[in-house]
Amino acid sequence: MPDMTKPEWAAQKTYDENRAFSKTKATRPSLTPDEEKRPFAKYYYDEIPQPDPVHYATMDEPMDPADAFYPEDINRLLDLPALEAGVEIGWCNLPNGAGYIANRIHYPEFTADMVDWWFAWHPLEDLRYRIWYPPQHAGIMLSPIDRARILDDSVPDREKNWGVVHNVTENCDNGYENIDIAFRSPADMGFDLEKFGEVAATMAGGMGWSVSVDKDDESITAPAIMCHMLYDAPEGGLIHRTRFWMGYRFNEEAKPELCLPPGVSVPVEAVQGLARHNVKEYTRWREFLPRIYAELGPGMYC
Amino acid sequence: MPIKLMAASRRRPGLTRAEYFRYIEHYHGTVARLERFKIEKYIQNHVIDGAFGVLSDADGHKNKVADRDAVVELHFDSFRDMLATLEPEGVTTSRANQDGKFFADEPTNIIVMAEETELPVAKPKPDFNPGLGEPGNGALKVMQFIMRRPDVFPQDFHRLWRQAHDEALAASPYANDMFRKIVVSKRSRVNDNDAAARAHFKMVDPPVYDLVVSFILDSMEQVGAFRQYFDAVTASALEFADWSESFFLYVRQVRIIDDAPPKE
Repeated sequence: MPDMTKPEWAAQKTYDENRAFSKTKATRPSLTPDEEKRPFAKYYYDEIPQPDPVHYATMDEPMDPADAFYPEDINRLLDLPALEAGVEIGWCNLPNGAGYIANRIHYPEFTADMVDWWFAWHPLEDLRYRIWYPPQHAGIMLSPIDRARILDDSVPDREKNWGVVHNVTENCDNGYENIDIAFRSPADMGFDLEKFGEVAATMAGGMGWSVSVDKDDESITAPAIMCHMLYDAPEGGLIHRTRFWMGYRFNEEAKPELCLPPGVSVPVEAVQGLARHNVKEYTRWREFLPRIYAELGPGMYC
Repeated sequence: MPIKLMAASRRRPGLTRAEYFRYIEHYHGTVARLERFKIEKYIQNHVIDGAFGVLSDADGHKNKVADRDAVVELHFDSFRDMLATLEPEGVTTSRANQDGKFFADEPTNIIVMAEETELPVAKPKPDFNPGLGEPGNGALKVMQFIMRRPDVFPQDFHRLWRQAHDEALAASPYANDMFRKIVVSKRSRVNDNDAAARAHFKMVDPPVYDLVVSFILDSMEQVGAFRQYFDAVTASALEFADWSESFFLYVRQVRIIDDAPPKE
């Protein structure tokens, strides 16, 4: 029986409590006295690094959709020469209305173990998620069964999130939303596993459903497929390639399916907003993950 | 089949059950065949009997009976096809949409947009053909609408139901022997954007059911098998369902549109 007084277990809220509390989270309240005592609270007060201006400005205008690809072709993320010859940073609406985002960033000091640890470690408490990008990350919650999996020592860090849902509250430049991100294994993302093992260092990906924290009867709950791929960089560290396909979900047969009504496109503001948010949050991640991993990794408890 | 729309409705005031069943099968069904749009398959389930809640519900419980007369299941190849049927391009109001008021008490409709998964059963075929129902398919279907407890995360709800189901089946030898098919219809999040469906089915503040489980049996004579299973699953120590807000229906399937009906 786990020690339920430990913060990693005591953080558990019920589904309806968390949904109701998300409106408070979205106000980004000051840290509670208990949160201030956590060993990672100091990261909340870091000066947040700003994105490289040239990189950020790439998200000012849409890219040519002809340079994008669809989630059915996700194995193109394993074709490095083609990726390097194509457009690696940008966003657009695809001809079918879906939103597409591509991003690439180099992390000179990263290892795959750090990445796997982070994606398992951070959903355990609101503050762990907030310190990632304090200006726009408001909170996170796991279900009791998912929490038990994350805290199960017998599950490798790389696999902890497979099948787990992160219930996050986040602002992707268009107001605060509750986003339920269901993480998947590389196989369930549709990757050719043999090639994946040859090319990729690690991956975090899945499918999200997002809706405003102020949801009402007319609110749209929007799906997106998300894939963060990490590759060993020739110059050291890791290269991170992100893809989002907004408007797509995985169906029960694990096939990507466009969920937009005919003639409807994902709003440009939503695509560009997520693209810009992605650059900002991963600029911050690049700078602070090696520090926090050195201090608190590789365990789940602290 | 990637997605289906289920609508559980009750008959409008003034109709007998016989009139209602005749109307939806022979008139409304014909309208659907004439005006098929993107419907891949259309099954009507005519209610024979059913029950709401559990025996322990207090006298004051607001739901006394399972007041549903039919459940229709409209299957589509994709969510876009579903929308194209509910809101057909160039058609202000489809004939099927206009027809609803003649047989259904529309504000009380319950809909579930769901994805199907079939679970294994111990004996998919009976030892002898009882001569009832369709080839390869039993004559009686039980549809169990299960409401998630609001404190339970949806992902845990489905996991806990599956555990409770497996344990209930293991504790129910008659049910284990008599269930010929079990189909799990899991509510899809696309259901969150159900404005078109609510408009089509004219619903007002419908309750939300995250799970509908269908059990196929040979005939009404074996329905006690479901009762054995029901008692076991509702007695589970796992807390995931609001059984007082859940209900089940014994139904007779009527195929309105099906290009690939079941074979022996």
